[in-house]
Amino acid sequence: MNIPLHMYLPIAGNSVNIAAILGLGGAVGLLSGIFGVGGGFLMTPLLIMLGIPPTVAAASDSNQIVGASTSGTLAHFRLGNVDFKMGLLLLVGGVAGGSVGVRIIKLLRAMGNADFLINVTYVLMLGLVGGYMFFESLQALRAPRAGATPTAASGAAPARESLYERCIRSMPWQTDFPRSGVRLSLLMPLGLGALVGVLAAIMGVGGGFIMVPVMVYLLRMPMHVVVGTSLFQILFTCVNVTIMQSIENHTVDFILALLLLIGSSVGAQVGTRIGKKLQGDQLKILLATLVLAVMGKMLFDLLARPDVLLAYAGGH
Amino acid sequence: MRRTHPLHIVSGLLLCLCLLAATARADDGGVALAVKPGDIVIGTAYTGTTLHFSGEAPRGSAIVARFTGASGDLALRQKGKAFGLLWMNMGTVHLHDVPSVYLVASSRPLADIGGTGLGLDAVRAGVQQEGGAAAQGPDGLDALDVPAELVRLKQHDGLYREGVGGITVTDDGTFSAELAIPSRMSPGTYTVEVFALRDGQVAGSTSAPVRAELVGAPAWLAHMAFDRGLLYGVLATLVAILAGLAVGLVFQSKGAH
Repeated sequence: MNIPLHMYLPIAGNSVNIAAILGLGGAVGLLSGIFGVGGGFLMTPLLIMLGIPPTVAAASDSNQIVGASTSGTLAHFRLGNVDFKMGLLLLVGGVAGGSVGVRIIKLLRAMGNADFLINVTYVLMLGLVGGYMFFESLQALRAPRAGATPTAASGAAPARESLYERCIRSMPWQTDFPRSGVRLSLLMPLGLGALVGVLAAIMGVGGGFIMVPVMVYLLRMPMHVVVGTSLFQILFTCVNVTIMQSIENHTVDFILALLLLIGSSVGAQVGTRIGKKLQGDQLKILLATLVLAVMGKMLFDLLARPDVLLAYAGGH
Repeated sequence: MRRTHPLHIVSGLLLCLCLLAATARADDGGVALAVKPGDIVIGTAYTGTTLHFSGEAPRGSAIVARFTGASGDLALRQKGKAFGLLWMNMGTVHLHDVPSVYLVASSRPLADIGGTGLGLDAVRAGVQQEGGAAAQGPDGLDALDVPAELVRLKQHDGLYREGVGGITVTDDGTFSAELAIPSRMSPGTYTVEVFALRDGQVAGSTSAPVRAELVGAPAWLAHMAFDRGLLYGVLATLVAILAGLAVGLVFQSKGAH
């Protein structure tokens, strides 16, 4: 028996080590199952390092996420962590926002200096979101030890009503989201979904990073439901991206995606189990750390002189 | 990476036959060349290969072997410092006449035998540039030697290479050479050229085409991806969903008790 260690990828036009790809898929799938993010921020640059062209890396990654998020959604669904109603509304908003975002990015590129704006916004957003989440969950983790009443991960609003709460209560079409245990206007998930869609399209990322904090802090959903619902939503986004990329750019490498998703769908299952054992605030602080680490890496890339001053077009 | 393989003994024997079959004799200088294998076959297990070639050249000449891909246009992002602080893509450079692959091996250093015009210097000189630093001027971009950076980028990928070795020349002018072909290859027609250099001059040269072809599963997938994009995309997502479900179900049954 001669088990091949390498495999040639017809669309990427290169051969890769099978074990490396399976391992990469497993690691990213694990993060996806724990945190409800797609993991493109990690996967795409690592694939490029392994010699995959940037455009093929990004497109095949979205094909791979379809498998991982199916597996993850199924696992979270069994735990009662998927709010389908909320997910579908976010999705509708996200698709609309995505097409607006694509127009905006064209406009920005025409005006010039788009990359600067995108990079700086991206780093700032990661920093703000990561930093806020980090300190908020750190406080929440410390509070019970300090002797305060142990409260649930999210919600548990103090008696005073903030301006934000009054605003969202006064919006029309209030409806119950029983799975998430919140009552909100229909416009909230639609509008916020659209906002994330716009940002994701402009930055060229899947949006899990922005979507998760939005669901936690603006929609006030419990962290575990956020993870399951985010995966459910990512599944549809990535189906759309995969098919569009296959038609428009022919950049989906199915062999690469298949190898990755074998690893990542297993990783997503394991990740879900790990996530189940952690509290909402622990999950939040870990995700915040991850977000801050990615921000650090991006900042470093922006500040350090690159090895080669030319790059192939495409990718993130 | 050169590995000795039992098959090479067989290929050595076959080489004699190939010499008769595929010999291309050039008009000038009398350089004969045979290449083996004649085609690069890219199947599922392709991880790069080694081309062997042999032939005859005028006595006492140094041999330069070159493997090149078709030249074409290439658009690259040029990195620069925005506001003197942050490195990012600052513009697009359009390049023409960029060889996709450019591998050069010589029996002696190119500089010693007057063959620098055959190496990567030739690429740097031959690439035509449009846009980028030269055209944009005071836009925060340093003046960048784009062709030199292009060569560095391609060297990173293993697609451009220049080196001494892998070529044996005997006193009577026969030579044999091997050239490692990278795994990062696209199907298409490539060219192998051999130059015989004497007294700093090209005394003779010849060339032979080498085709790189996809076969088997990669060929079928590439056909699907490029000719039937919609079907390919739908199938790719369906398989991904089914695989995700299958893994999910396996874990459910494992976790049930």
